[in-house]
Amino acid sequence: MLKEALEGQVTVVCNVIAASVQFQVEPVGRWFEAFLKRRDRNVSASFQELEEEEELEEESEDEELQLEEYPMLKTLDPKDWKNQDHYAVLGLAHLRYKATQRQIKAAHKAMVLKHHPDKRKAAGEQIVEGDNDYFTCITKAIEILSDPVKRRAYDSIDPTFDNTVPTKSEGKENFFDVFVPVFERNSRWTSKKHVPKLGSMDSTFEEVDSFYSFWYNFDSWREFSYLDEEEKEKAECRDERRWIEKQNRASRAQRKKEEMNRIRTLVDTAYSCDPRIRKFKEDEKARKESEKKAKAEAKRKEQVEREKARQAEVEAVRQAKEKEEEEAKQAAQQAKKEKEVQKKAIKKERQKLRTSCKNWNYFSDNEADSVKMMEEVEKLCDRLELMSLQSLNEVLLCDSREEAMAAVEKQIQEVNTQLQQERDAELAARQAARGAEQGGGGGGAGSGNKGWNEDELQLLIKAVNLFPAGTSARWEVIANYMNLHSTSGIKRNAKDVINKAKNLQKLDPQQKDEINKKAFEKYKREHVAVPATADNAAPSERFDTSGTDISSAAWTTEEQKLLEQALKTFPVSTPERWEKIAATVPGRSKKDCMKRYKELVEMVKAKKAAQEQVTTAKSKK
Amino acid sequence: MAAIGVHFGYTCACVAIFKDGRADVVANDAGDRVTPVVVAFRDTEQIVGIAAKQGRIRNAANTVVKVKQILGRSFDDPEAQAHKADSKCPVVNKGDKPMYEIDVGEATKFVSPEEVAKLVFHKMKETAQSALGSDVSDAVITVPFEFGEMQKNALRLAAEDAGFNVLRLIHEPSAALLAYGIGQDSPTGKSHVMVYKLGGTSLTVTVMEVNSGLYRVLATHTDHSTGGESFTRTLAQYLAAEFKKTFKQDVTGNPRAMMKLMNSADVAKHTLSTLGSSNCFVDSLYDGMDFECNVSRARFELLCSSLFNKSILPIKTLLEQVGLSTSDINKVVLCGGSARIPKLQQMIRDIFPDVELLNSIPTDEVIPVGAAIEAGILVGRDTSSLDEDSITVDCCAKDILVKEADEFGADVYTVVFPSGTPLPARRQHTLQGPGSLSSICLELYQSNGQNCTPQEKVADIVLGNLEPKDDPWDIVTVVTMKRDGSLHVTCTEQESGRSEAVTIAVAS
Repeated sequence: MLKEALEGQVTVVCNVIAASVQFQVEPVGRWFEAFLKRRDRNVSASFQELEEEEELEEESEDEELQLEEYPMLKTLDPKDWKNQDHYAVLGLAHLRYKATQRQIKAAHKAMVLKHHPDKRKAAGEQIVEGDNDYFTCITKAIEILSDPVKRRAYDSIDPTFDNTVPTKSEGKENFFDVFVPVFERNSRWTSKKHVPKLGSMDSTFEEVDSFYSFWYNFDSWREFSYLDEEEKEKAECRDERRWIEKQNRASRAQRKKEEMNRIRTLVDTAYSCDPRIRKFKEDEKARKESEKKAKAEAKRKEQVEREKARQAEVEAVRQAKEKEEEEAKQAAQQAKKEKEVQKKAIKKERQKLRTSCKNWNYFSDNEADSVKMMEEVEKLCDRLELMSLQSLNEVLLCDSREEAMAAVEKQIQEVNTQLQQERDAELAARQAARGAEQGGGGGGAGSGNKGWNEDELQLLIKAVNLFPAGTSARWEVIANYMNLHSTSGIKRNAKDVINKAKNLQKLDPQQKDEINKKAFEKYKREHVAVPATADNAAPSERFDTSGTDISSAAWTTEEQKLLEQALKTFPVSTPERWEKIAATVPGRSKKDCMKRYKELVEMVKAKKAAQEQVTTAKSKK
Repeated sequence: MAAIGVHFGYTCACVAIFKDGRADVVANDAGDRVTPVVVAFRDTEQIVGIAAKQGRIRNAANTVVKVKQILGRSFDDPEAQAHKADSKCPVVNKGDKPMYEIDVGEATKFVSPEEVAKLVFHKMKETAQSALGSDVSDAVITVPFEFGEMQKNALRLAAEDAGFNVLRLIHEPSAALLAYGIGQDSPTGKSHVMVYKLGGTSLTVTVMEVNSGLYRVLATHTDHSTGGESFTRTLAQYLAAEFKKTFKQDVTGNPRAMMKLMNSADVAKHTLSTLGSSNCFVDSLYDGMDFECNVSRARFELLCSSLFNKSILPIKTLLEQVGLSTSDINKVVLCGGSARIPKLQQMIRDIFPDVELLNSIPTDEVIPVGAAIEAGILVGRDTSSLDEDSITVDCCAKDILVKEADEFGADVYTVVFPSGTPLPARRQHTLQGPGSLSSICLELYQSNGQNCTPQEKVADIVLGNLEPKDDPWDIVTVVTMKRDGSLHVTCTEQESGRSEAVTIAVAS
């Protein structure tokens, strides 16, 4: 129950409502869908009733629909229905494509009530029988206008529509006056809602851009099926129908193309005439220009700066160079001066020496000696350095004749030996050069002459056999081995060794024989020597020692194998090892075996040492 | 205009179709209305549903269960890790995405959770299409309220891969409300509904506000440790103890025997929801020994009493959280298979003694039916404009009340325009005043937040110069709140046509 109003209480608003809040709702249910629909349609109130009210209003408008009577109606020929204005027939000439379905229906109803043959008959009018009555036109009009597809086809070719496109010259003068109505007129063909307006001179770039992009991508519903020459329904058979259809389609496509071209031309014209576009372009151009200018300016500045820096650098380099040159010049002058001073001093000293020698009368009495002495002194003057000259002069000045003579002679001797040495060195150098020449060009015999004696050849052959092909760094190893073992003391390098070995290989059999013979001779010599010493030392042991010698030289490969096997089978720790080893090698004593073993060990050691040297040398490199 | 609604749960999936104005759940090829979300991989084929669930005893390592738990999660996600620990099928890390490692004969295959979900969706689609007899693929799929964007996307992708045209993903509680068609049935247009969902492995309690047919989640609570499976496990443990008592054999350490017992307990549990007692029988449970045991409903309720209490507990905490009492709840919707348990329904009824308990639809079918209804709505509409899954709307912030006097003359306040009403909205009330008065005053107040205590007076509307009569005055009050939030109130006395109107501006 509501309360009673107090005395003097009036309707009043005393506070504000709290602001609305946002809640997240679940997107489900029909109420939600309805809510969304309302929101998307942007209806100001959420009430169904309001919409209904609006509809009611619309209906009441319909009732007031003003129909314009078409004066020519009664003279229309139903056969010519295609060329008649259906809107005018129904009295909707003023509404045309804007007419709602309801309005069309209402108009038709009114028309029927008025023009139906029965009605007119009742009114006592003469009626043309059959389809020839003008009422057929009304029927045709409603037939077309009530069907959305047919109506669209008819709207598309609306005879009252102005298809013209303004020319450029028209558009240039007063763009907005000319184009606004044209675009408004053409926008009725769009299948999209919300056609952007042409706008005014103050429109922003975005607005203008969206306007032109809309029109350049214009999606028109206009179609030209109404203008079809033939009617599909009239065809008698399927083939004919198909043929008609094909014809129609072609002509429709043609017309549609023309229409699209028309729109395109319109938009193109507008675009080219649009003062705003021009303005935007100019703005853009100006902006670009200024940007370009700024860029160029920046570039120029940068260039200038760079040039400056470069010049400064060049300048600095030049200055440094000049300074250097100056210094060098000064130094050269200094050196020259010093040299001159020295030269002068030497000249003076030489003069002094000569005069002092002269004073001493060249330390001789007879003429010939003095001449010889003079020559020697001259030589001294030439050869001696400033310092020694000075000291010599000092000696000459202060001392007695004998002492002076001794000093001079000592100097002369020294100089002479020096000269001799120099001469010897020169000679040796010349000889060496000649030798090298011969060695390089001569080949086999030439290089063979260069100090390869028999021993060395033997050693080389031995080394080559010791280090067979495939040994790493074979020739270095061989050269090293030779350097270690040769008695001549000549150092050989790998190249020498290679050359020699190759030469040896190339040698003709006669020379080989010779070498072999020499080897044999040497062998004989050695072995003659050994028995001789043995003979002297202990004759009783002679047979034994020679026997060992022979046997040590003649270890066959078979015996060698047996020995190696035995060495392996009896390791170092085996007691009485050598006895056992000797037992396994038939015909060899314990001593033989031990000796052979020592030899082998030495051989292996030598091999290893040689190889190691090479590898270390290599790694050092 | 047919459409499909799919509920993809942790343990079970269910599909409903909307056809000829009504939504109904369809049975799958095995004749069951719900399909277990169990996918078994064999050498050449994949099995979905009850066959996979039964075969799990023998093929546990290649059988994927509870795929929803891991769907759309990264490998490091705690949920994914929990799933990994729980799953008998090995889960490996492949580029931060969890993958199932499936042993197919000689090679191992890596299967993503999305693929497993896709297989399930494919099965649901087949089921729906065989019932419809046509290849309808428009579907609405339900997701739990706590699902994140990633998981929603994963689910949507899986459904689309299976050939569904996903119209929308909706939340499970909203679907439950839709199934019962809860809408604008209260006089003020505003009501509170509690959705109680006890599924296979999870318990979700949600309090929703329904205003002008729009649903809004006020608060929700999810407990992944309580569910139908915990009841089954408790029962299976009891059965194992019984077996031990009889045969002196402990089967709890034998996974295969336990799985057999679980299946048996599951059946027994289902039976106990309708019958007073159930017989459990397992052939050759352990070492060739058969097991038979009779369980009564009372026994089951006793065993699970602590679980029942645990299941009921979140209701109270949630109500406290949103500041509502049990009497503020207008309806309780039960869903999820385990909400069938009579004892549980009894306990909920005890909490809400005078509240309508909605359980007429089988509880495990409520959500798919709601989804199918939504799918039907979406298929029937003309435009598809909504992209996002939930949207915000402008709502009235505070209750608008009018001061009245009760029969003893004390002040009472009646809500004429509830808070949370989506704008714009209009509410019409017929207020009555004593016929003896010559002038009547409506005092409008706005409330202070949730409870209807008036805070400030916003307007007085006085209808004066009435001629006293015997009948009470009927005053039609139309309260309109516009989109911008301003309030427009019109009061009209019916007999004389006297009217008075005010517009109250909105605070800026």
